[in-house]
Amino acid sequence: MTSSDTSSKRRRSSVALRLVRNPLGAAGVVILLVMVALALLAPVLAPFGPNTAAIGNTLAAPGGDFLLGTDSAGRDTWSRLLWSGQLTLLSALLCASVAIAIGLPAGLIAGYFGKAFDGVSSWVANAILSLPSIIVLLSVRSAVGPSVWITMIVFGVMLSPGYFRLTRTAVLSVRNELYVDAARVSGLSDARIITRHVLSVVRAPIIIQTALIAGVAIAIQSGLEFLGLGSPQDPTWGAMLSEGFRNIYTTPMLMVWPALAIGLTTGAFVLIGNALRDALEDMPGTRLSVKALAGAATAIGTASAPVRSRIPSTVSVRTLAEPVDATPPEDAAEHLLQVNDLEIGYPDGDGGLKRVVEGVHFHVDRGEVLSIVGESGSGKSQTAFAVLGLLPASAQVVGGTVVFDGVQTVDPQRRRIADDRMRPLRGRRISYIPQEPMSNLDPNYTIGHQLSRPMVKLLGVSRAEARKRALVLLERVGITDPQRTFDAYPHEISGGMAQRVLIAGAVSCEPDLIIADEPTTALDVTVQAEVLDLLRTMRDELGVAILIVTHNFGVVADLADRVAVMQQGRLVEEGPVREILHHPQHPYTRALLGSMLVGREPLTPLTTTTKGPTS
Amino acid sequence: MKSRTRGITAAVAAIAATALVAGCSAGGSGSGGGDGASATLTLGTNGEITSWDPGQAHVGHQLQPYQVAYDTLILREPDGSYSPMLAEEWSYNEDLTELTLELRDDVTFSDGAAFDGEAVKANLENLRDSNGRQSGQVAAMESVEVVDADTVTVVLAQPDPAFEFYLSQAAGLMGSPASLGTDAMISTPVGTGPYVMDTAQTVSGSQLVFTAREDYWNPDLQKFDSIVLKPFDELTARLNAALSGQIDAGLIDAPSVEQATGAGLTLIEDYRVDWSGLLLMDRDGVIVPELADVRVRQALNHAIDRDTVLQSIARGYGEVTNQVFGPDSGAYVDELDERYPFDPELARELLAEAGYPDGFELPVTAIPGFESAMAVLTQQFEDIGVRVRPISAPGATMLQELADRQHATLIWNLFQGEPWVAINQMISTDALYNPFDSTSEELQTMIEAVRTGGDDSAELAQQVNDYVTENAWFVPFYRADQLYVYDAEKISVEPQVQQAVPSIYNYSPVE
Amino acid sequence: MIAFTLKRLGSGVLLLAVICTVAYALLFANGPSIARNIVGDQATAEQVAAKQTELGLDQPLPLRFLSWVGDAFAGDLGRSWFGPITVSDALVTRLPVTLTLIATAMIFVTLIATTLGTAAAVKRGWIDRVVQVGAIVGDAIPGFVVAVVLATIFAVQLGLFPAVSSIAPGAGADAWIASLTLPVIAIVLNYVTASAQQIRSAVIQQRERDFVRTLRSRGLGDGEILLRHVLRGAAPAGLTVLSLQFVGLLGGAVILERIFAIPGIGQLAITATVNGDIPIVMGVVVYTVALVVIVNLVVDLLNGWLNPKVRVS
Repeated sequence: MTSSDTSSKRRRSSVALRLVRNPLGAAGVVILLVMVALALLAPVLAPFGPNTAAIGNTLAAPGGDFLLGTDSAGRDTWSRLLWSGQLTLLSALLCASVAIAIGLPAGLIAGYFGKAFDGVSSWVANAILSLPSIIVLLSVRSAVGPSVWITMIVFGVMLSPGYFRLTRTAVLSVRNELYVDAARVSGLSDARIITRHVLSVVRAPIIIQTALIAGVAIAIQSGLEFLGLGSPQDPTWGAMLSEGFRNIYTTPMLMVWPALAIGLTTGAFVLIGNALRDALEDMPGTRLSVKALAGAATAIGTASAPVRSRIPSTVSVRTLAEPVDATPPEDAAEHLLQVNDLEIGYPDGDGGLKRVVEGVHFHVDRGEVLSIVGESGSGKSQTAFAVLGLLPASAQVVGGTVVFDGVQTVDPQRRRIADDRMRPLRGRRISYIPQEPMSNLDPNYTIGHQLSRPMVKLLGVSRAEARKRALVLLERVGITDPQRTFDAYPHEISGGMAQRVLIAGAVSCEPDLIIADEPTTALDVTVQAEVLDLLRTMRDELGVAILIVTHNFGVVADLADRVAVMQQGRLVEEGPVREILHHPQHPYTRALLGSMLVGREPLTPLTTTTKGPTS
Repeated sequence: MKSRTRGITAAVAAIAATALVAGCSAGGSGSGGGDGASATLTLGTNGEITSWDPGQAHVGHQLQPYQVAYDTLILREPDGSYSPMLAEEWSYNEDLTELTLELRDDVTFSDGAAFDGEAVKANLENLRDSNGRQSGQVAAMESVEVVDADTVTVVLAQPDPAFEFYLSQAAGLMGSPASLGTDAMISTPVGTGPYVMDTAQTVSGSQLVFTAREDYWNPDLQKFDSIVLKPFDELTARLNAALSGQIDAGLIDAPSVEQATGAGLTLIEDYRVDWSGLLLMDRDGVIVPELADVRVRQALNHAIDRDTVLQSIARGYGEVTNQVFGPDSGAYVDELDERYPFDPELARELLAEAGYPDGFELPVTAIPGFESAMAVLTQQFEDIGVRVRPISAPGATMLQELADRQHATLIWNLFQGEPWVAINQMISTDALYNPFDSTSEELQTMIEAVRTGGDDSAELAQQVNDYVTENAWFVPFYRADQLYVYDAEKISVEPQVQQAVPSIYNYSPVE
Repeated sequence: MIAFTLKRLGSGVLLLAVICTVAYALLFANGPSIARNIVGDQATAEQVAAKQTELGLDQPLPLRFLSWVGDAFAGDLGRSWFGPITVSDALVTRLPVTLTLIATAMIFVTLIATTLGTAAAVKRGWIDRVVQVGAIVGDAIPGFVVAVVLATIFAVQLGLFPAVSSIAPGAGADAWIASLTLPVIAIVLNYVTASAQQIRSAVIQQRERDFVRTLRSRGLGDGEILLRHVLRGAAPAGLTVLSLQFVGLLGGAVILERIFAIPGIGQLAITATVNGDIPIVMGVVVYTVALVVIVNLVVDLLNGWLNPKVRVS
């Protein structure tokens, strides 16, 4: 995590580059630059002073000496527009400066030192944020009279909570991170820790915030001037708009120019702010580490940059040539689940496709436990979700078939799992046990509701019957007080209990196949064993087949009949559990088995010999 | 009218709620259709009055609302002459210190109480004691003696040539003695006037609804069944209301006249009340030493091209002038309007003579709304080397700042009223617009002559006029037109001399 | 839940107290010089002094504030300095107009934004782009500029709507509808895409949550998951966004009321500000902050009620 100066510089210039490459961002920058240039050059460009009146030539039409005509006092609209730009932009700058000058230090102190200052300043920030700014500015105007500068200073104070919150949040998240701890240990003063580490973190969000705030400041300032509450001698776009509105019947064009100037400038700020945000979000390393590839893939899908889903023509897709729709491969009928040559990819954002699963081939029989083993990013979870038909929306099944009990669920035309074929299977025939128990229960509904609702829906039983069955299920998964758990909300039970609840939910509709995605990873060691016992019991008593995805050979040894090992999207080895454990053939399998002794999931790819996508 | 109502109808239709609301719209006041409509007068007013208590009454724009609910002791005719109203006759004693009024004996207040001499005494004392905006009107009053039920004598400490005028204004408004000074009277008038407030329909700041009083003593003055006053603080809104037929009459501004007349409204021509110009208040040179020299002040007067100023500020709606007294006042001197012809050359010479060949910096104060005047002034003064430093004063505290001598000059509009009123407003040492108390023995003598001049006082005021014009106390630009528009298809209106809006008696329905 | 409610209520009351104190100190510090304006330009110095005494402006500021607080607790916010009305009456007659405007607009904004935002999150495609671009445009163009344009085109040029509100006592619903249609449209245009954008983000975030996948794996339909689980989960975020907009509108309505000449709180506030009618300005501040406190309290309570962790404890 030692970020050198050069890399941060590179990052900055790269952000600027991305900003300019974004067409909207570039437009914003250009508009703003033009506005600033016009304002700065007002003394040169404006043929008249802001309050110079062409006597006897009021409300003149455009043309001649007056490029855009004159207003009701005979002042040249074009000149006034330029002078107003100066004042308006300056006032926005003042407003943002005041907001930063207050919000940033306050946020730093509150975030870094916490305690009473944090409590008080957070309350004040919330209080300020909850006030309607126009009303506040009206009363300030009542108290101190019209002044662009005082108004903007006060408005800057009102906007400072934005910076305060932003800084405080960033500081809080950074404060306890390793490098700050390390810095503290190495004896750096608080001030230096803040300036060196924290400021570099909040810099980018502050720039974005400032772009947006500048736009808001101009809008508010113009609004007040429009109400006629400004100082009459100061030329501003808002005052010009007000003047135009007063002469709306005779010279409506007077209104158009300032409205255009206000709209363009605030718009430019918004565009720049948005483009900056997009640029930063797309930067590698700026996003928080994404747990699963599925998450990352979804994030790519939601990024506002247009996602192109074209596949490069170099990729040949076997299944496209001969649709396998209705005719599953011969051996499919024998197995409960047959996966053939499955290939899954995600758009990589540059028009291509990144494969995460390639040519995976396996089967599961009734009552059998198959374990897919691999490290993070090996494609094991993607494979499991493909079987469930729950891949993220941006995932593409570019090849292969998935056949469950004779039903082929891949739709090769649309390159995805066909939902209409999958729907009758989910819950009823194939069910799912997730990895993280707490996040897989809806915090807003009781355990009982979440357990019984699928039974009512899928099995068509009454609610009372579903409730009875749910209580039985809860007892069966080893919960001592089923009624209490039934009535509880997820936050009221432990992680182990939640996983039992999820297992109960998975078997509630008597499925033929359970997909268990790292079902024990998130649990304490003691609970892990209990949950594995429970799964075994379910298999033995209900005869259900289990496809268990894990990186943990302990789980494999405990539960599986057969093992499939995946590395970087490919199936490298497959066979009966004893054979693989005792005589692993592939070096990767051996490495995985070796790392198991350490008892931790390997964080980095174990082998770098084969080229391919990594997480 | 057709095109105006179409908008509303279309809007309602568009929202497809016509059926729903059809039943609710009955009972609406204002300019609905039907036979009774012409008997309702709806006026757009500039803002609202402070209190309905006659003790707080005001003049100018704000006298009109009081006239709806209250009668005055003396009626001022549109041309400025005085007619009997609640007082049938009145006369001064020899030395102009006692004014005796003979009152009508057939008048009652809307609360049923009889109007009599005691009521007059109560009202005059109420005005004196309640520190209203026009309490100054009875400043000269020493006492009120009730001779009998319908005779009172007002005893003045010293002659006040405007006292008759006052009794046609705020001081003449007669409220029911039982209500004077009460909180209830702040929001609801109780008078002898032609109309009574309909409190159910009235919402302060939005609309004030009055209905004709049934047993009103003078039905001739009661020309409408009801009167609705709609206060508009903002000109654009008032104009839009006039254009859309929501009000029958109202004041607008010069740039809007074309639009208003184009939409079928009629403008009252040559209706002039205020003068517009620059007050050179610091004529003793406290803030701006240069102003102490009369030649400098005269130079400023010569620097102004009044025709251009009139055109550019008021689009020609007005009449240029060099004096601050109006033609209706009696103090007006024709020749004075030729005193300061536009002559920048002469202006520069005068400045040079005064020792300022390179001009000087002149702070000029204005409140919001005077931007074009400021712009024009800046330009014209620049031509003679006088550099204007504009100062914006907030409207709310400007008067106090003037009183505190914070401003040397002020761009302003001032009422061209009766000479004595005008003198007390801007010339005497008591006048707010003479904050530095500039005066001279000569001027004091002239003012004293006006005070005691009786019937001649207006004519005597010509000397005062001459003095302040010659000494260039002000830089008058023009007498502004009151741009009062009305819907001639519905009503006819007669302007009222020296009053910003016509008296309520000047409106009549069109048959 | 009771402790939670009390805590929020306490925070709101504290806010109100702090704002009142600051506002009073700021506003009434100027009071004495406004007295001259009340008695007018023909008044003598004695009259001005008498007026100051009458209004209590000769008293020290803290003393005046204490007596104001005492009166305020009794529901008396004083009298307008420039109009024949008490502050409470002025607020009471104006409040229905402003609240009708804001509430109507918020109802439309809520309905449209929720529909648009959810559709954008679920369907993506063109509707998503409309929301995204709309949000940028909505942010970029100040609301009052939109309103001015609307007023110019539809009220002034085409005459489809009254340029001056005809809302008045006794005016029928037609007057209200005709007067409020354009401003409501202006607000909706200006606010709806920004809200939709926020709701879209909230819905997307909810849809990405693990339990949604689990619920799908259980065989529940997409519609049921969206309505019962996703929208339920996105509700707090949506509520917060809408409450922020409501507060923003309390200010935004001021400008709208001026543009469309609607006799609401905003017009009252502007006129009072220009005239220096301090008691009215103070009243408007008190009312606004009280309204903000109430709205925030309601939203907090709703959010608390929506959140089982808060509700159950």
